[in-house]
Amino acid sequence: MLKLSRMKQIILIFLIYSSQINAQELFVFSEPASNMPTGSLGIRMGQSLMKESFSSGYNYHLMPEIMFGINKNLMLHTTAFVSNRSYNLVTEGGSLYAKYRFLSLDDLHAHFRMAFFGRFSVNNADIHQEEIETMGHNSGYEMGLVATKLVKKIALNASFSFEKAMDNKPNYYFPNSQSNNASNYTFSIGKLVYPQQYSSLKQTNLNVMLEVLGQNLNQNGKSFLDIAPSLQFIILSQARIDLAYRQQLYSSMLRTAPNGIYLKMEYIFFNIKK
Amino acid sequence: MKSLKKIMIAAIVLLSIPSAFAQLSRVDIVATGLTCSMCSNAINKQLKTLTDVEKVDIDLNTNTFVVFLKKSNQITPKILKDKVENAGFFVGEMVLYMYFDKQKTIMNSAVSTNNLTFIFIDNSTRTLEGETKLKVFDKGYITSKAFKKVAKLIKYDGNNAIEKGNVYHVKIV
Repeated sequence: MLKLSRMKQIILIFLIYSSQINAQELFVFSEPASNMPTGSLGIRMGQSLMKESFSSGYNYHLMPEIMFGINKNLMLHTTAFVSNRSYNLVTEGGSLYAKYRFLSLDDLHAHFRMAFFGRFSVNNADIHQEEIETMGHNSGYEMGLVATKLVKKIALNASFSFEKAMDNKPNYYFPNSQSNNASNYTFSIGKLVYPQQYSSLKQTNLNVMLEVLGQNLNQNGKSFLDIAPSLQFIILSQARIDLAYRQQLYSSMLRTAPNGIYLKMEYIFFNIKK
Repeated sequence: MKSLKKIMIAAIVLLSIPSAFAQLSRVDIVATGLTCSMCSNAINKQLKTLTDVEKVDIDLNTNTFVVFLKKSNQITPKILKDKVENAGFFVGEMVLYMYFDKQKTIMNSAVSTNNLTFIFIDNSTRTLEGETKLKVFDKGYITSKAFKKVAKLIKYDGNNAIEKGNVYHVKIV
C-alpha cells in the first residue's frame, strides 16, 4: 500500500511538472498513436552505433525507411536493415509495419488517441542474443497497442506489444534454450523547448524527449529496462533530425550491444497522392 | 384590397426558403488535436491541394487557418473538414464568410444559396446583407464538447443532413 501511494506521488509530481512544459509526440524509439497525413510520403534514415559488450568495436546499423499515409487512420512503413555484423555493410533483412488509429478524442490543443500496430520482419543475420528485436535482428512479428495523450503541448506515450521471434534466414534456427517471445512496453514524454511562441512554419523547433523501453521474455522471465534521452530538431515543418542515446538500466538477459547512439533523419513529401 | 394581396404575397415569398445569391469568400478554421508546426503544415498542405483555395494564412499559436477562396468556387464546409481530417486532425471551429448580394432574409428559417443550405439555430430576426459571418454548429465542425451543448438545439442528426444535401446549422457571429 505504501508502495502504491508512493507511486501515485511520483505520477502526480510527474504530471504537475509536465503540465508546465510544451511537448511533442514524434518520439525516436516509439511511434505515437497519431498517423502521417493521407497521401503523404515520408523517408527516414535511421542509424545507430552501439558499443559491443563482449568484443571491441561498434555495431553499426543503417535503416532506410519509407512511410506512407494510406488514409487518415492507416499508415504503412517498409524498412530495410543494413549492418556491419559480418564486418562489411550487408543488407540483412527488411520489415513491413502498419498502424491503425481506432480512437481519437480531440479537443483544442489536446488529444487522446489509440492505435493498433503490427510488424513483420525477415532477417538473415545470425542469432546472437536473448533480446528479441524484429527491428534489425530477428525474423518474426510484433503486435501491439499504443496510446498517446497530448494536453496543452504535453505529450505522453505508452505502448505495449507482443513480439515473437522465428528462425532467421537461411538456416539460423532460433535456439530452443531461449524464449522466442516477449512482452515489450514503452513510456515516453516529450518537451518543446524552442520556440516558446511560434512565428512561422520556417522556424526550427527543438524538442527534448525521454523514453523508457522495457522487454520481458515470456518463457523465462528475463527482462531489461533501458532509458533513452533524445534531442529532436524539426526543420521547415517538413524535416526532422533526432539525436538519441540509449542506455541499459538493468538486464537479466544476454544482449550484445545495448548501449549507443542513434541518429535519425526524416523528410516528409506532403500530398504526393492527392 | 389589391395592395393587401400584394403585401401578403410579398410576405409569403419572404418567409419561404429564399434562394439567395451568395458567395463563400473566406473560411476560418480552428483545428484541434495538435500543437506542433509539422502538424499545422500537414493541414496547410492538405488545404492547398484544393484548386479553389487562393491562399492560407496560419496562426500557429492558435492553430487557426484562414482560407481565402477564389471567386465562383465550389468549396463546401465539408470539403474543408475532410481535408483537415485527412491531415490527421479535427475541426474545432469553422466560420464561413458569406457575401449576400442585396438579399434580405427573415431569420429562423432555412436559406439556400448556390449549393448550400443554412438553418439558423438562434431565434433572432436579422437581415442577411453584404458580408456575413456564419459559425457552423454541426457535428465535426465544433469540438465534441461544444457539440453536446448545441445538440439539443439541432434536435436531429445534422451529420446525415450534411452528407445528403449540404445542409448546415449556423449562427451569425
